[in-house]
Amino acid sequence: MSRREHKPGTDFVEPDLPITPMLDMSFQLLAFFILTFNPAPTEGQIALALPQDKGGPSNQIPSVVEADKPMHFIIRVSAADNGTIEKLTVQEADTVTPARDIPASVAEFRDEVKRLAAQVAQAKKPAGGKLTLEIGDKLLQEYVVQLVDQGIRAGFNDISPVPLNKK
Amino acid sequence: MSHGGSDKCEPNLVPLLDLVLQLVMFFMLCANFVLEQTSVAIVLPKAIAAKALTQAESYTIFLNVDEKGRVLLAAADQYKDSEGRVTESLDNAAQVLTFLRRRAQEDRNAVGAAANADAPLRSVIILRVHKLCPFEKTYPIMFACRQAGYTRVQLRALFDGSTD
Repeated sequence: MSRREHKPGTDFVEPDLPITPMLDMSFQLLAFFILTFNPAPTEGQIALALPQDKGGPSNQIPSVVEADKPMHFIIRVSAADNGTIEKLTVQEADTVTPARDIPASVAEFRDEVKRLAAQVAQAKKPAGGKLTLEIGDKLLQEYVVQLVDQGIRAGFNDISPVPLNKK
Repeated sequence: MSHGGSDKCEPNLVPLLDLVLQLVMFFMLCANFVLEQTSVAIVLPKAIAAKALTQAESYTIFLNVDEKGRVLLAAADQYKDSEGRVTESLDNAAQVLTFLRRRAQEDRNAVGAAANADAPLRSVIILRVHKLCPFEKTYPIMFACRQAGYTRVQLRALFDGSTD
């Protein structure tokens, strides 16, 4: 059995940990991550009201009271062959008001849905407003999202995209 | 003027190392890892009203739709057909409907047999549609979601910070 003891008067030797190689490696890692740093763009969701399916469960209980029905507007969006907006037509559903054309641009659409949202607010309907977008087959998703986006920003919570001439 | 003694003057590198390791950790955590369920091939449109997923929407099904209207399946969702070939994409609405009906059944099984059959399904469907995909390709997929019993469907977009 051996027993080690510090001899009196012997200096204590502190272990020397080499920091420099570790620092070199850390700098290399840092350089790698800085060079490959590419922050992901922020993605978000836009909620949709899907078209009704016969026999399927309904999102909303149908209202029997006329006053509880939301103000329902239909905007028809015709698409050009290149997928852009060709024509915009606005009509209030369940009324005899004739459909009217508005200039075919997202900016005009925005102004129009703002006017419609103001109309809904003025009517003070508890159910609010409903917007149906009847969309042409060729319209690109880019424009579909822009139209839904403008509708939500104007204050419509119930926006349902359906194909043009089909309900 | 002379320096007394033979002591070496060494800079203290430990705080520098601490700082560098913290920076390394920051960049590692912020690294852009490829998400399992999303496809980098899909170029999303921009929207200002897009909102982040909430805590209530913890069950999600991602449908990545390319510009030709095909649904690109994530690795976990790929399956073998009757001939043993791996299906990586769903090319038409009928295939999407079959896929979603299977997922809907899995959702119902996960909740348990005691759950009300008419109760809304727990998953939210997130449509990641390429910005150049025409509406005639997107709409049948939306309609298939509805037919499969999913009532909560959301369109994914890149958050656009500009005010207008």
